[in-house]
Amino acid sequence: MTMPLVKLSHSRRYPPRATEFTRVFWDALAEGRFLVTRCRGCQRHSFPPKPICPHCWTDVIDWEEITTEGRIYSWTRVHAGPAIFEEDLPYAIGIVDLDCGIRVACPFIGDAAWQCGMAVEMVSVIYADGPFFGARQKGGSHNSYMV
Amino acid sequence: MSCRPVIIGCSALPVGRHQTPSNAEVHVVEHELLARLVVEAMADSGAERERVGAIVVAQPRPYTRQQYFSTFMTSYLRIPCDGIVMEVLGNGLTGALAFDKALDEVALGRTEVALALGINMETAISARDHMMESMRKTGDVDFHAPAGFTPISWYALDMQRYMFEYGVSRSEVASVAVKNRGHAAHNPLAQFRKPITLEEVLAQRSIVEPLGLYEVPPRGDGAACVVIASEQYARRRGLSYVIIRSRAFHHEGVHQIGDVPADMIGFTAAATAAAAGFEAAGLGPDAVDLAELYAPCTIVEVLASEAAGFFPKGLGAHAAATGMTSLGGKIPIGTSGGLTSRGHPSYATPLYSVVELFDQLRGRAGPRQVDSARIGFLMNELGNYNAALVHVLEAAK
Repeated sequence: MTMPLVKLSHSRRYPPRATEFTRVFWDALAEGRFLVTRCRGCQRHSFPPKPICPHCWTDVIDWEEITTEGRIYSWTRVHAGPAIFEEDLPYAIGIVDLDCGIRVACPFIGDAAWQCGMAVEMVSVIYADGPFFGARQKGGSHNSYMV
Repeated sequence: MSCRPVIIGCSALPVGRHQTPSNAEVHVVEHELLARLVVEAMADSGAERERVGAIVVAQPRPYTRQQYFSTFMTSYLRIPCDGIVMEVLGNGLTGALAFDKALDEVALGRTEVALALGINMETAISARDHMMESMRKTGDVDFHAPAGFTPISWYALDMQRYMFEYGVSRSEVASVAVKNRGHAAHNPLAQFRKPITLEEVLAQRSIVEPLGLYEVPPRGDGAACVVIASEQYARRRGLSYVIIRSRAFHHEGVHQIGDVPADMIGFTAAATAAAAGFEAAGLGPDAVDLAELYAPCTIVEVLASEAAGFFPKGLGAHAAATGMTSLGGKIPIGTSGGLTSRGHPSYATPLYSVVELFDQLRGRAGPRQVDSARIGFLMNELGNYNAALVHVLEAAK
């Protein structure tokens, strides 16, 4: 179930903070695995991962690796962005509905002719300072290598 | 109904560029602008100054140098209060929350007269620097902001999806900008008043695809003050007023994006709050004479007009393109010029919408007056941020 790793030479423009809890997600992401939290009581998934189930408020939570293929729900290309993203302009971002029933918002990797409904796959983008998740056209090979 | 709150007066600054850069020799400062508006609004209302017992201020942007603005303004104008003196903040709802909380203070009987006011100064800060702050307001700051989402990028996502689901063209949605500019031409408070064509709208540089410069909100500075009183007080003093016929609020418990697939463009919170507001008012969308919607982008106005029940899903853009939301149309929306042309001094924007409806329902909107306007629909909603606050206003007989 591992995702393709896409390597980029620069650092993340706005690095996420890892907590004692979410570092499990980020560490797995760096290895190409996409984890979400799942409540042991109600069995419902959560993403972004949470130490408390938003549905039943218990803290008995398991990590579960999910499959990472899906379709674009919507997308846009940002031409005017925050100062810190200036070198990336214009850049594509969007929302992916994964086949496993999880919705993710993320950067879109590569220069595809993005369209709602297009088949995509999640990738782990390995920046100089750490990972972030993105989506690319299914079967794409933009600057990636498999481990 | 002795404590039923009514609107009795208002004043607002023309939206535009008022903020001076930090190195200016002579500055425009926020409290001088706002103090004048308070005095004007009170004069407009005919209320007595000593009856003001509550002041609710929309929290200014962080670029406003003076802080603790509510107690500061209370001191600046020497208004002792027994109700409340406070600042409120709630994303784009901020100005609407000031209005709503001022209504509450009167409804609870804590004061006979309350002020809702706000000032939004930001144009001396560049868009790229402003977005360094606003990007932290989209989704989860650790799981979404690193992707480069900006507030209006979410509306671009709505636009792409709307075009995809309903087969609507960009130009039909973009017609909202042309309509709004036509309205703004008649509003002295509007930031942009020169009429534009659809071709010009479509030819602007792209900001967040497929939305171009004229389809997203301009940046602007503005300030407004609204005076609220109990109906009993207004009657006793013989003041003209506008009634709050109903109020409703909804938040689905989802901030921008849930973790399972859902309809993003149904604006469920807005639809729920609008339906509740209509039910409480005892009337339906057909009874509305005009509407002011918090709609930063053209697509937001379309989606909000559908969620409010003015048009079926997927037909809002067509309605705008065929003049149904223009002055003289079935349901005029944004007679002020809307956020795209009246302007969008964000935290004060909802107060401008109150000002527009107050002027319209008082019959003093000049060349943009809606004939015999009696029911005004005010909806401040946050799109994918999901909160929606509705007030149905009515002209007093």
